[in-house]
Amino acid sequence: MDDLFDDFDDMVAKKHQTEGGVSTPTTPDSAPAASEATREAEFMGEAGLAVTGQSRMEAAFGSGEGDDTAVAQVAKIASDTSVGKIFHQVYRPWNGKLNTRWVRNWAILRYHIYGLFSKGHKPWPVMTKLVLFGVLITSLGDLVLLAVGAASGTEEISRLAGISRGNLYGHVLSFWFRNACTYPIVTALIIGGIISEDRRNGTSALYFSRPVNRRDYAAMKYLSVATILGVVVLFTLFAYYVGAILVNGEGWAYLIDTGLLFLGAFAAGTILVITYTSIGVALSSISQGKFFPAVSFLGLILGTKMVAFLIFWLFESSAIYLISPYDNVAHVGQWMLGLNYTYEHPASWSLVMLLVINAVSLYILSARVSSLEVTRE
Amino acid sequence: MLEVIIETHSLTKNYGPHVALDSIDLKIRSGATGLLGPNGAGKSTLIKTLLGLIQLTSGDGSVLGYNIKTEGDMIRQRIGYMPEYDCLTPEMNAVDQVKYCGELTGMNTSSAHRRAHEVLEYVGLMEARTRQIETYSTGMAQATKLACAIVHDPQLVICDEPTNGLDTKARSFMLDTLFQVVKQGGRSILMSSHMMDDVERVCERMLMIHKGKLIAQGKIEDLKAIDREIEISVWGGADKMETGLKDAGMKPRRSGRVMRVVRIDETTYDRVLEIAAKEGVQIRRMEDYEPSLEDLFLVIMERLGYTVKTSSDLLQTQPTARAVAPAPSRPGGEF
Repeated sequence: MDDLFDDFDDMVAKKHQTEGGVSTPTTPDSAPAASEATREAEFMGEAGLAVTGQSRMEAAFGSGEGDDTAVAQVAKIASDTSVGKIFHQVYRPWNGKLNTRWVRNWAILRYHIYGLFSKGHKPWPVMTKLVLFGVLITSLGDLVLLAVGAASGTEEISRLAGISRGNLYGHVLSFWFRNACTYPIVTALIIGGIISEDRRNGTSALYFSRPVNRRDYAAMKYLSVATILGVVVLFTLFAYYVGAILVNGEGWAYLIDTGLLFLGAFAAGTILVITYTSIGVALSSISQGKFFPAVSFLGLILGTKMVAFLIFWLFESSAIYLISPYDNVAHVGQWMLGLNYTYEHPASWSLVMLLVINAVSLYILSARVSSLEVTRE
Repeated sequence: MLEVIIETHSLTKNYGPHVALDSIDLKIRSGATGLLGPNGAGKSTLIKTLLGLIQLTSGDGSVLGYNIKTEGDMIRQRIGYMPEYDCLTPEMNAVDQVKYCGELTGMNTSSAHRRAHEVLEYVGLMEARTRQIETYSTGMAQATKLACAIVHDPQLVICDEPTNGLDTKARSFMLDTLFQVVKQGGRSILMSSHMMDDVERVCERMLMIHKGKLIAQGKIEDLKAIDREIEISVWGGADKMETGLKDAGMKPRRSGRVMRVVRIDETTYDRVLEIAAKEGVQIRRMEDYEPSLEDLFLVIMERLGYTVKTSSDLLQTQPTARAVAPAPSRPGGEF
């Protein structure tokens, strides 16, 4: 800093000297100084001085002082210049505090969920986001219908879309349209790359070379998918139920009457979310791309349903539906909501089958996540 | 004396009948250390072991004072690991990728974000930090991986083949950067590489493993001393000089007028001069031949094998015990 002030003082002193001092001629023949030359250039010939044009040029372009030593400043090509090193590499230490395990796990969860609507997190494909948004809106269709009925005063619509065992079951477990089209497709799109992309891109090394253990990794991936599916299935169910109460202006008694039905539907929806997530994440863990897990998930859910349906019509034995994850959930859901069964075999068989399907899926997930490498695949 | 950051005792890891690590006793001090070994030597297994990621068959060890068997999380929180292979999300930009790595280590979001910008500037990606990683060159991707490794300012950075696939300029920058991490940042580096020059440029020490066994560890300069030779250029009777050296039991290697003999001690120079005087041969030049790390690697692999474990063992080995490769038959050929 002192050097800077010294330099500044020198500059000021030099400036004062230049302004206050007398200019001296720089060429021996043209005696007048630059300032005089400016004034008297027209009369130098009359004064007997040689007219060389120099004084006029000096008057026009400068004082002439130091011109003989001046160096032209011309542009140079980059390779000829030595402009110094602009990039200065300085290692800066970081003295912050590292957080605990749950903050790290939250970072994984947030990375996947926030990525759906915010930059800087998991880059979900645009198509996935659009489909998810579309399905979310579609899932609120019954609420919209209820609102239209209430607004128009059409009792038929209100009765059709109002809260009942069938409608609560239908919101979560109806095959057509939700479990044939929307929920499986959303699940397929989400689970497509949830683990398989880590295997393909090698990003598993970034997780496991850090203090993230495989159990936490798998759990957070699972929870991420379950949370997104939960919003689509369970949040919309909740919105439908609350919306129906508000739209119809129902009171506490109605809440008590239908509360258990809602909880039954919510529990059935939770089983659906868990089952779809388990199967989907397991499929994602055994592949290296998005396509295989997505297609195989759709094939598993819809294919088993189709096969079971065909065999049922041939042999009239509903037990074949045990191979279908959707039908097992539906059967258990019917039991939980107290609906008439559409299957002939006991609901407990479906419940056991669901446990088996989930256990096998989690085993595959666990085994495959254990095989994710840090150094190389 | 520098602090010991990695220490292992009889570290053994078996995969079924295959012995990946065989009773390895390591002692690595702070600073830059190179990890050398051919493919399948056990480098990756050793790195995974040091990261606390695999169960040991037997033995014990510690990294930065934490037990590798029981405190893997603590170790990985204090280590930055730069993998050899692709490990980045192509659709993300570098800032978000590095920030996420920081968060995975336990950094706050705001700290990780700020630090991501800092380290990306440090690795030379300041201008390109908001570009998608899939548009990066190999050098830029390697730099991003390094940024991910140092985002939380670890005490130890483990780099697995950091110059893999880089051109000369990018390789030089990467090595300079790693060197700066040690010299300027005061951090330690364990650098696994097949490139001997890279290790020599960055590291002071090295350890060499082969078929799961540790065959050398110590300062590179010390280890180089085991293969010290004297190179002489003779004029007027190279054949006579060669014969004279052979008669004196010095086993010269010759290429034209240039010969190399093993430097046993300080008297070797005098003996060479005496032989030259006796044979009437001029010695135009005589100097110590500095072996490269590659020479050293070959010497250790081919001549000393498994019996040597430390640099002191190597130095105690009698140089005369080494077999000397015959000189190439073609004139003017290199040794």
